[in-house]
Amino acid sequence: MIELHHVTKRYYSLVAVNDVSLTIREGEVLGVLGPNGAGKTTLFKLIAGFLNPDAGQIEPSGGMWPTLGYKPERLLFPNQMRVRAYLRMVASLANIPRGEIGDRVAESLATVRLEGAAQKPIGDCSKGMRQRLALAQALLGKPSLLLLDEPTNGLDPEGQDDICRVIEELRADGHTVVLSSHQLQEVTRVCSELIILKQGRIEFGSDMETALALRPHITIRSDRSLAALAPTLRSLHPQITVRDDEIVLEEEAIGLRRHVLSLLVGTGYDVVGVEQKRATLEEIYAEIVQWHNVSSP
Amino acid sequence: MAQRIVTITSYLFSRLLFSLAGVFYILLALVFWRIFFDPRQSTPELSYYMLVTALFGAGITFLVTLSVAGRAYRATNYPLLARLPSRVEHLTAVLGASLLLSFLLQSLVAGLATYRGPSLLAARALEIPPIWLAVDILAAALALHASDLVTAGWSRVYLYTLLAIFLFGQGLEGGAASWLAARLAGAARWLMGQNLIVFGDLVDTLASWLSGAGSAVLDRLFSLPFWPVHAIADAVQNGGFAPVQALAPAILLLYATILFMLAADLFANKDLFLTE
Repeated sequence: MIELHHVTKRYYSLVAVNDVSLTIREGEVLGVLGPNGAGKTTLFKLIAGFLNPDAGQIEPSGGMWPTLGYKPERLLFPNQMRVRAYLRMVASLANIPRGEIGDRVAESLATVRLEGAAQKPIGDCSKGMRQRLALAQALLGKPSLLLLDEPTNGLDPEGQDDICRVIEELRADGHTVVLSSHQLQEVTRVCSELIILKQGRIEFGSDMETALALRPHITIRSDRSLAALAPTLRSLHPQITVRDDEIVLEEEAIGLRRHVLSLLVGTGYDVVGVEQKRATLEEIYAEIVQWHNVSSP
Repeated sequence: MAQRIVTITSYLFSRLLFSLAGVFYILLALVFWRIFFDPRQSTPELSYYMLVTALFGAGITFLVTLSVAGRAYRATNYPLLARLPSRVEHLTAVLGASLLLSFLLQSLVAGLATYRGPSLLAARALEIPPIWLAVDILAAALALHASDLVTAGWSRVYLYTLLAIFLFGQGLEGGAASWLAARLAGAARWLMGQNLIVFGDLVDTLASWLSGAGSAVLDRLFSLPFWPVHAIADAVQNGGFAPVQALAPAILLLYATILFMLAADLFANKDLFLTE
């Protein structure tokens, strides 16, 4: 649908987006992750055409630019307008025939569960309502590409669940969505593809299935501290980690699980649990953006 | 396309009209009428009525366009801009909303001014719309370049410096050429005094050319762009347009078109950092 080739965007000396190459395919839900200042919003504005790249190119895959629905990060609206009037205006810009505008607006209000606030001035709406309104306006006219910059920011758990449900429905209908979020569980739930930005660069990019299959590991829990056995266990394989009463066998060390178990039992330890796991998105994200390092002085 | 432009035009128009700035502009129009068309005084001349109202139209259009462009450059418009296949649609809507509001304000002044004002003979009344419209559209196109919406880099500085140079050159007594020739002659004498004979000679030659053959060329260069304005003023004061003068509003529209095309090009290619 849209291809980015070595796109760079600078704000004076700050490189906000650095040599990003990316293909947004039709029907995918792409999650853009990254810490604050990683370049997510700049990337969205480049894709939306609000900013021009300093280097590189952004072009449509099929020669035709997709129609856009854009939900900005900041929830700024003309406060004196009423919710329904605002949506009617956006519907008119989305080339919805005049006769259908009323129905489509009602439909989009229902989708985001905002029917009750239809007659409210936007200035009187809560943050949650404004977030829903921002999504409702982006959905109008079923644009071929939806850019949702932090769609669940500031919503309560119920609201977040509602928005995720809407995005899941869009995904099922074959819509193309690009969304950014700090809610990793939400990204895991709704996205089919994933990129992680750090200092303007794509540090990680994969489809969600592959990302979640990364770094399989087995955790073996003992009845007491394994400090005494730790040197022996570590000497078996570099991918064996011992933490208090837990042994973690990662990737290639998984093959040694039987040996480790018999070693434990043979030396008088009781095995109280064995768990097979995959890396969570939080673990992948933490490793890539090194947030533990960033947050510590 | 038309539906989108009309939608944004009416949105920008209503946002300005029903704001404090909108009330201010209406009050400004009333104050202007009260000062320049005092109803207690006798009927003003028709030429006065036409020119002063045209002047008001130009001024108010400039101000209103700046206000509308300011509102069109706010971050609330990101979702709207995302819906437009071309940014020029947004710019056209800004121009449309500005002209619509300015026209209403100008009509308010023009309407009030007819109270104990001049009698509008049909033949002369027909001269009013092209004059007022051309002047208003030109003022709006100029104001777009002064706004953050359109300006990119130093563009407004270049444009308004150029305009200032032309206004300065045209306003000089005795013509721009003789003024420039006198300055260059002084510079030549100074250069000679510094023993920079070659440069001094060169500047002196230029000063001599400006005093002679170059005078007409330079004076024409400075006065030509303002010919339509002078032509309209002369025609109104003389009570009718000569065939050549009738072209003046069209030439003003041509200026406005060029300025709008330049504005569209700047706006279409600039980074949009809409204000919050």
